[in-house]
Amino acid sequence: MHIVVILRLVPDLADDLDLAEGGKSIDREWVGLALNEFDEQALEEAVLLSEASGATVTALALAGEGVERMLQGALARGASAAILLEGSGDDPLPSRTAAPIYAEAIRALAPDLVLTGVQTIEDLFGQLAPYLGRLLDWPQVSAVSGITLDAGHCQVRQEYSGGRQALIEVALPAVIGLQTASKPPRYVSASKLKEAMKSDRLSRQPAGAGRLANAARIERLVPPERSAGAEMLGDDPDSAAAGILGALDARGLLGT
Amino acid sequence: MTAVLVHIELEGEAIAPVSFQLLGLARTLAGDHGRVDALLVAEAAEGQLPQLGAADRVFCLGGAVAAGYLPETHFKALQAAREASQPELTLVAYSSAGLDLAAATAVSDDLPLVAYCQGVERDGEELLVTSQLYAGRLLATSRVTLPAVLSVVPGTFEEAAGQIQGNPEMIDLSAAVDTSHARMRLVEVMAPEGDDVDITTAPSLLCVGRGIGDQDSIAEAEELAELLGAEVVGSRPVIDAGWLPKSRQVGKSGQRVAPKLYVSLGVSGAPEHLEGMSKAGFIVAINKDPSAPIFETAHLGSTCDLFDLMDSLAEQLRQRGQ
Amino acid sequence: MNQLLFWLVVLFALGLAGRRFWQTFAPLTKAPPDPRWSQPRERLTGLLRDVGLHRRLLQRQPSGILHAMIFVSFFVLFTAIVQTFGKGIDPGFSLAPIGGDTWIALLQDVFALVMLATVGLAAYQRLVTKPARFEGSNRKDAILIYLLIAAIVLFMLLEFAGGIAAGTVPAAWRPVSSLLAEGMTALGVGGSSAAGAEAAFYWLHLLAILAFLVYIPGSKHRHMFTALPNLFFRNIGPMGQLAGPGIDAPGINRAADLSWKHQLDLLSCTECGRCQAACPAYAAGQPLNPKLLIMDLRDSMQEDPNAPLLANAIAEETIWACTTCRACMEVCPLHIEHVPKIIDLRRYLVEDTKVEPQLQDAFAKLQQQGNSFGKAPRQRARWTKASGITVKDARKEPVDLLWFVGDYASFDPRVQPLTLALARLLNRAGVDFGLLYDSERNSGNDVRRAGEEGLFELLAEHNLSEIASCDFQRIMTSDPHSLNALKQEYRRLGADWTVLHHSQLLLGLLEDGSLAPSQTETRRVTYHDPCYLGRYNGEYEAPRAIIRHLGHSLIEMERSREKSFCCGAGGGRIWMDDSAMVERPSENRIKEALDLGEIDAFVVACPKDKVMYSAAVEALGVADRLAVLDLIELVTEGDEIPS
Repeated sequence: MHIVVILRLVPDLADDLDLAEGGKSIDREWVGLALNEFDEQALEEAVLLSEASGATVTALALAGEGVERMLQGALARGASAAILLEGSGDDPLPSRTAAPIYAEAIRALAPDLVLTGVQTIEDLFGQLAPYLGRLLDWPQVSAVSGITLDAGHCQVRQEYSGGRQALIEVALPAVIGLQTASKPPRYVSASKLKEAMKSDRLSRQPAGAGRLANAARIERLVPPERSAGAEMLGDDPDSAAAGILGALDARGLLGT
Repeated sequence: MTAVLVHIELEGEAIAPVSFQLLGLARTLAGDHGRVDALLVAEAAEGQLPQLGAADRVFCLGGAVAAGYLPETHFKALQAAREASQPELTLVAYSSAGLDLAAATAVSDDLPLVAYCQGVERDGEELLVTSQLYAGRLLATSRVTLPAVLSVVPGTFEEAAGQIQGNPEMIDLSAAVDTSHARMRLVEVMAPEGDDVDITTAPSLLCVGRGIGDQDSIAEAEELAELLGAEVVGSRPVIDAGWLPKSRQVGKSGQRVAPKLYVSLGVSGAPEHLEGMSKAGFIVAINKDPSAPIFETAHLGSTCDLFDLMDSLAEQLRQRGQ
Repeated sequence: MNQLLFWLVVLFALGLAGRRFWQTFAPLTKAPPDPRWSQPRERLTGLLRDVGLHRRLLQRQPSGILHAMIFVSFFVLFTAIVQTFGKGIDPGFSLAPIGGDTWIALLQDVFALVMLATVGLAAYQRLVTKPARFEGSNRKDAILIYLLIAAIVLFMLLEFAGGIAAGTVPAAWRPVSSLLAEGMTALGVGGSSAAGAEAAFYWLHLLAILAFLVYIPGSKHRHMFTALPNLFFRNIGPMGQLAGPGIDAPGINRAADLSWKHQLDLLSCTECGRCQAACPAYAAGQPLNPKLLIMDLRDSMQEDPNAPLLANAIAEETIWACTTCRACMEVCPLHIEHVPKIIDLRRYLVEDTKVEPQLQDAFAKLQQQGNSFGKAPRQRARWTKASGITVKDARKEPVDLLWFVGDYASFDPRVQPLTLALARLLNRAGVDFGLLYDSERNSGNDVRRAGEEGLFELLAEHNLSEIASCDFQRIMTSDPHSLNALKQEYRRLGADWTVLHHSQLLLGLLEDGSLAPSQTETRRVTYHDPCYLGRYNGEYEAPRAIIRHLGHSLIEMERSREKSFCCGAGGGRIWMDDSAMVERPSENRIKEALDLGEIDAFVVACPKDKVMYSAAVEALGVADRLAVLDLIELVTEGDEIPS
């Protein structure tokens, strides 16, 4: 059993996001990067599956700033190997464009299961897992919280709004967009990380060509309106209440 | 626009509110001359047709193969419906099913896709689509050439516009969808656990803090919450005191929430609390202390007595309801 | 015949006892090393203080007095044991030449009564008054010991009484035995039957002593043998310097991996429960009872030293509950070291990736950003923007005072105003100071105590190299946790600096007149000793001197100085979930302050205390009655209100 897990770095939302010149993307120069939280869940699930079934886990990522260290972190966390796909360009690619590159690498690896995070905070043009599912022509399920492996198939728990969920049996190979791992992601101690930095389980290979899809174009990015501090409505309860309801009305927040 | 196709989603047996929102949006975009088509995959599809009066035609896949949600079946049905409908725009919800379907459809037919949609405007032959990006920290406006696929955030558009009783034309897809050689099988559908809500997905929250005083006053807050269409949540002291269950705690040691509306009553706004709710869309804070940190984060604030304010709010809401 | 029987019985009992002693203590010979010989003179004086003067024991009454009485009685009555064995070996043996029939006899009689009375009182305490600290202790063992002691003493008296009745023992110096002899005579036991009684009680006395000896190795009473070595080989500091993990084992999960001293600790515990009564986690209803922890470790060690401890004998939640406040170690009469064992177990959990969820979150932020708030390093000194003064960059120009600000003082919005106020005070007092700006990282003090040794090393190495590149005379911090790292932990890594707490610096500035606040109102205040300032770094006076200097009256809480009650934030607890507590230690503490009556300020000297106690007065709804003020605020108060 071989599991490939795709990992991506995204801007750390703990930092302020500044717009790049032109206003169509964020300025990545000053922003910190962090492993996409859902990819972290996917990695944890992959490691849990490997611990339960002896599967090997390969972490796969496109090269970029901080990615090598992120992959070392994945090795420290329990991945058996890590592959850095180099040469896809400097800027991070949208999932739509990156999907064919990953698909090509995955075909060569011929795994039984591909896991990745259900979404990223940057997936404006669609999510990676369903793209990969189609490109590979493998069954795909998104928003999954927990996987069990069996011979020839896996069972996944898909979550829906309102707390409903379903168990779905999926034939392997398959692509799963993970929302929550069966257990919270584990902690990797600094000493394990140091050890992984010295390991030779990280390899590099050239990335295949992406494919320019018929995509939408970003016109502009703007921060949502937000005043510094609250507008104060005074001390009279009746007029304050009227003020609040007026504001909610204006924003369409009084639903029913 | 000549045709818009809407993927109808079910919540259990019932049609999901978001589907009516999408039908309403589709109607607006299609205009007077355009057609609205819907795809309904449901075991008892026919019985639900009259609710979909906002659509001109409904492509139906019914019977046992349509029971429950299977990504594979819905994708095949959507492909068949698209083949028959030839829509310029395909609308799905930004939901678990929408995640599965939108990208798969876009890549299969090489269509542009925009996700997290919160606003759609026509601009000549193209669409200008507003989406939430970076967890709402930025709003992106994208230009989309048709035909295209959009996945729309639930709760964005009016439900009423799509909630029309009627008699849409039904087109049976059973012959067009090949469900043999299935690579997925539904094993079990599970109902939500308990009757408690998931406060992380509720669109509106009413948060009570220590200022609420005692457990008896919680009932008052609950009444107001119902009038506002909100769920009641609490800050740490309220949960500690046992006035609300732990599942309703907002903050570092509770849940992180990002509802569209967050009304806080008697919450001072400790950093641990702000961490859990500062991403809410619109924040109204009531606290008698004008220097309470919550006012830094809130959009609208008042320092009046929170019980007086609750009374006034409830009364004015009741008057509107009449 | 009698002598043959004596030898048979004694040798059999000694053999049995010896075997039991060997079984109990042999594992120590195979335990990992732990150098404990340094400063033998200091070790010896401390040993004498705690044994001879009962220093720690006498802090708790009536147990302290009871123990002292049993202790003294034991030494007196030991003479009777010498007599018993002497007679067994040589029937002509007698202590008479050195006073065995005079003053020694009198002492024996008197202390026999003292011993009986004390054992009776101790049993009364165990069975009737039942102090909470005994909960979970082995009561059967304690009672059995009392019974054995009572039996030994009674049989001894009866043996003497028989002797007196038979005329073989002089009655003059034995008032108690004489009384018993009269009773015997009254019952018709006299002459040869009295001699028979004397012989019978001799044997019963001997057998009781031997039974006691055989019983001890399996009982908490073995502390009469382990106390001396355990006290001599105690940790004599520096208290804030934690021992590193073993080279082969980054953490501990088997009793066999504990060093010989830590194993001896376990064998020495008397289950007295003083640690339990002092523990803030236990008081908060957390799943940690330091006494049971030691007992569980001991039982697991004795059952199978190679069995995994965690998830079997010890629950993970127990290990995470500790605040490392040291209160348990401070009260333990035998100087048992609870905290280092807990940290070694935490180290194992961290390496095994089993970290408390919120702590894990904090660790991840510390790994990435160097602070537990997850803020970008360059935001660390952002508070200076509002100060209205230019704060020197110590990396770029020489300063007299390098201010190591610490995470909470830098980032927490409740503490930032204090940090700002301190900067203004230093500026006004003309202190030449500077910061490390974005080069500062969390000191790692609590990271280390939370068991993340590798992360501590990363943080410490970073700070050490940054500080080494600066030109300064002294380091100051307002955070006792950082203070402990800078002053004690970093010293182990080669640092050698003068490190001040802000209370020490401010006191100096007040005393030399550099700061002269004009106090308008005097307050009635109480002061909370931060664990890492007081117990770990011995500074109890400076904060109190500031309070007095400002003219406030200081009302002390019962639990102050060495006995201070932790706010619950230490050892990484501030990063962990505290929602499952019955009563947060901070709230327990605020209630203690409120019980003092008319006080209007709860004075603290630690940023974490400001955070914890501000939340506590808020949660208890007493924020309007009791202000939580840092020393900085007290000094600023009469001066100028920071904007």
